[in-house]
Amino acid sequence: MKKNKRNSFNIPEGYFENFNDRLMDRIKEEETGKAESLIPKNDGFTVPDGYFNKVTPAVLSKTLEKETKVVPLKSNWSFYYGAAAVAAIFILIFSLTRKSSSESISFDDLASAEIEAYFDNNTLGMTSYEIATIIPIEDVSLDDVLNDVLEESSILEYLDENVEDIEDLNLDYSDYE
Amino acid sequence: MIAEETLVQELKQEESRAKAFEVLVNTYKERLYWHIRRIVLNHDDTDDVLQNTFIKIYKNIDNFKGESKLYSWMYRIATNESLTFLKQKSKKMGISDQELKDRLVENLEADVYFEGDEIQLKLQKALASLPDKQKLVFTMKYFQEMKYEDISEALGTSVGGLKASYHLAVKKIETYLKEN
Repeated sequence: MKKNKRNSFNIPEGYFENFNDRLMDRIKEEETGKAESLIPKNDGFTVPDGYFNKVTPAVLSKTLEKETKVVPLKSNWSFYYGAAAVAAIFILIFSLTRKSSSESISFDDLASAEIEAYFDNNTLGMTSYEIATIIPIEDVSLDDVLNDVLEESSILEYLDENVEDIEDLNLDYSDYE
Repeated sequence: MIAEETLVQELKQEESRAKAFEVLVNTYKERLYWHIRRIVLNHDDTDDVLQNTFIKIYKNIDNFKGESKLYSWMYRIATNESLTFLKQKSKKMGISDQELKDRLVENLEADVYFEGDEIQLKLQKALASLPDKQKLVFTMKYFQEMKYEDISEALGTSVGGLKASYHLAVKKIETYLKEN
């Protein structure tokens, strides 16, 4: 043990002699980011044999595939013309055969029970908000959609029980003046 | 090896694009593979993401402005593709991102392309518990031995922030390995 004359602290023998070496080792470790002894240097992942040789042609064929998907606009038009011509022929045949039959079926001929059954069995896939946006509210009164007649007293009773602040109703007071 | 600027120029010209792209794939496929593999863990998923990454690079090469290195730009695409892939996978399976990460690590035990021992499996568990950024910085620095400047360009984070994330990640992994 080496004693310092001016204080009572001791240091191990040869501490300063190899300090530089230890410091340089530490700096080297820090720089390479490999100072962590606990953490394994290899993470254990492997790849199938020959994978890296196969991946290049796989990628190149896909980029080629994506390019060939670009179809010139011109040929699209000829396709549409063809489709339009076929559709026109079908419409012509259909209208001719329809004329030959004596009675045509209209929407009114559908039994209302069938329409109701359709709505019962098929979900419209619309929320009540979406339905509300397409049905003109001015033309529909509450009595049209409710089975029972709604008494004014019931409405007032409902509002009395469920509305805490009259402001929430956003009423346009000018209507009542 | 072909200079990066020359390669970018050739990629942007139609007549030289196909050949230059082949050079690009051959030059970077292994590095990008390992980067993606350490995020998605499974080989087949890595293969899908790697191919999608290259297709995206091919389709977007005209948008590459040269403000960063081509290599960092590709790493950025690979990182985004990998993280998006994991997000979509967890959504499809109806589980949280963290649950998916835990499951992917559990699956490693039966994976024929994972030859890790107990300590390497524990390392993966520790990595799965880290936030994405810390995990990315750690794997890019520790396993891929990338420079902080390159990681900074690839992830769009300052070098100082990356150093802090790296040291934090190391501390957390060490603590995890000691305690488990």
